[in-house]
Amino acid sequence: MKILVGYKRVVDYNVRIQVKPDGSGVVTEGVKLSANPFDEIALEEALRLREKGIATDVVVATIGPADCQAHLRNGLAMGANRAIHVVTSEAIQPLTAARTLLKLIEKEQPDLVILGKQAIDDDCNQTGQMLAALWNRPQATFASKVEISGSTAKVTREVDAGLETIEIDLPAVITTDLRLNEPRFTKLPDIMKAKSKPLESIPLESLGVESGDSLKTTAYAAPPKRSKGVMVKDVAELVALLKTKGLV
Amino acid sequence: MTISPLVSLRERLPQLKLTTDATDLEHYGRDWTRRWTPAPLAIALPADIAEVQTIVRWANETGVAIVPSGGRTGLSGGAVAANGELVVSLERMNRVLGFDAADRTLTVQPGIALEAVHNAAREHGLIYPVDFGARGSCQIGGNIATNAGGIRVIRYGNTRNWIASLKVVTGAGELLELNRSLVKNATGYDLRHLFIGSEGTLGLVVEATLALTEAPPASQVLLFAVPHMQALMQVFGACRSRLQLSAFEFFTDRALHHVRAHGAQAPFEQVSPYYVVTEFDAADEAAQAEALAVFEHCLEQGWVSDGVLSQSEAQARSLWRLREGITESLAPHKPYKNDISVRIGVVPAFLQEMQELLTREYPQFDVVWFGHIGDGNLHINIVKPAEIDYAAFIAECERVTELMCEVLRRHGGSISAEHGIGLVKKAYLASARSVEEIALMRGIRAVLDPRGVMNPGKLF
Repeated sequence: MKILVGYKRVVDYNVRIQVKPDGSGVVTEGVKLSANPFDEIALEEALRLREKGIATDVVVATIGPADCQAHLRNGLAMGANRAIHVVTSEAIQPLTAARTLLKLIEKEQPDLVILGKQAIDDDCNQTGQMLAALWNRPQATFASKVEISGSTAKVTREVDAGLETIEIDLPAVITTDLRLNEPRFTKLPDIMKAKSKPLESIPLESLGVESGDSLKTTAYAAPPKRSKGVMVKDVAELVALLKTKGLV
Repeated sequence: MTISPLVSLRERLPQLKLTTDATDLEHYGRDWTRRWTPAPLAIALPADIAEVQTIVRWANETGVAIVPSGGRTGLSGGAVAANGELVVSLERMNRVLGFDAADRTLTVQPGIALEAVHNAAREHGLIYPVDFGARGSCQIGGNIATNAGGIRVIRYGNTRNWIASLKVVTGAGELLELNRSLVKNATGYDLRHLFIGSEGTLGLVVEATLALTEAPPASQVLLFAVPHMQALMQVFGACRSRLQLSAFEFFTDRALHHVRAHGAQAPFEQVSPYYVVTEFDAADEAAQAEALAVFEHCLEQGWVSDGVLSQSEAQARSLWRLREGITESLAPHKPYKNDISVRIGVVPAFLQEMQELLTREYPQFDVVWFGHIGDGNLHINIVKPAEIDYAAFIAECERVTELMCEVLRRHGGSISAEHGIGLVKKAYLASARSVEEIALMRGIRAVLDPRGVMNPGKLF
């Protein structure tokens, strides 16, 4: 079985996001960039399926600028067999990402595609669903447990009401939720081995993808700062204050 | 029956927050040590410098002793009040008072938590670099009183290096402003440094101005599996020569065992007797390549058997948790703690001797080693076996500590690297300081605190 894993690079989860002074975007220069945590979980799940003998080939793919190569090497160091880098200097939106991944599916013919449920930069939560529709294959989103048997997958999904277990035919798209697994640490010997693993670069324009980017961002702004609290002496003062502010 | 001295304190300071509630007496009467039963007279929580000064003057008149109290995360009993003392908690004096961009200093009240100092510095794009596991609870006043060290000492030094100015109320009740944030001030004795590390025996810190510095570039964390103790310092040498280190820590498999029992993720499939966690500047890929080269070299030499490298901030934190979680994971077992140091040059010989001593003397005990090996500081925790009575356990540990003192003396080391002397290490002070030095310390104490009201019974 071959698994294709989406592996996006984002501003590190622990970095405090700063908006550029001119409001044209967020600061990414000199900021730690890491794998989208949900994509790390996706890769971990693929690697576990390979370790169980269910999968044989794990391919990580990213769509991003030229310097994403180091990011893909991290995916290879974690354990992927191969990497595909779709090179573009433009930030793309979910529909374009889904159309691009579909091209990779046509090329690679995977039995399973695992993506993060969303990327933590734009929090769109759309690419997996769009890809399943374009590919015309089943989808199991927000997975917290995946069991493969033969040509079907039993997937436990985290839904608003609790947990839902569904069975889908493969090939299919699965998107990961936080509790699916805990990604492994990257071993130094594997980082060294990753240097010689195959990494293919494909310019986005050579894939003939029709752009689906229809949203235009007009400005970025930081959320308003919480105003400072005030201390009150007693209940009477509190009530009086609430009244003057028109809150009661 | 005599009238409680608290009556006169209440008369002088009717506004002072004062409590004698039994839960408060227990809570404020002890630190992270659990050997003494708290028995303070009362707990005072002053709101400003004037209140602190009045309390100290009152103590001088009534003879009631004062135990200054910060976050009470200390491990030497320095903040324990077991003899009818008045605990003076500075926790209500916890504000940031000012930031000076030109001086790069932050002025704070003593009761502010270390983590709040970190956050306040970051607001201004700078850092306060002293850092350790108790950051969320410990307070800057206590950090100053113990000259706290921690995990970044190899790069930034101890608390002492970062105190630009101090306001203190001496044991005699005088308010002093020491150094006024001057970088250069050649006007005689620098009294500020007497108060740093004084364990509350000279007075109370009531305000501090902290020096800040620029944040280092992005960093990565390496964890190595190390097959034998002698390799630890070899790995340190290899890392230090090629990477810009901000921390270099080690721990044993026993330490990892306790942290894992507490819920941490295992870093390797194979068990290794020792582990090293080190953090280095990794602004670009070149630094990561250097780290790999160091690893390859150490692997060839047989100094490491495996290693992992953090790929994200989250992973860096998980790796750090393996080291920083040790103290907390051991706490329920009430371990006996040794916090010792030698100069870096003699660490290998010292480790060898200590290992032999502990194997010989503690054949039946769980001995957990970890520490800041890059600055010569080792933490050796002895976990009490369930079948042994606590008093007998402590007596046995103290017997071994005497032997340890001998080894330390031979290597010119110290019985307390960063925890302070407090009550726990009082008996061993003479192993690290000469009779003349201790006499001088007592003399200085007598000048600043003539009535001996400040934290009596601690230190010496």
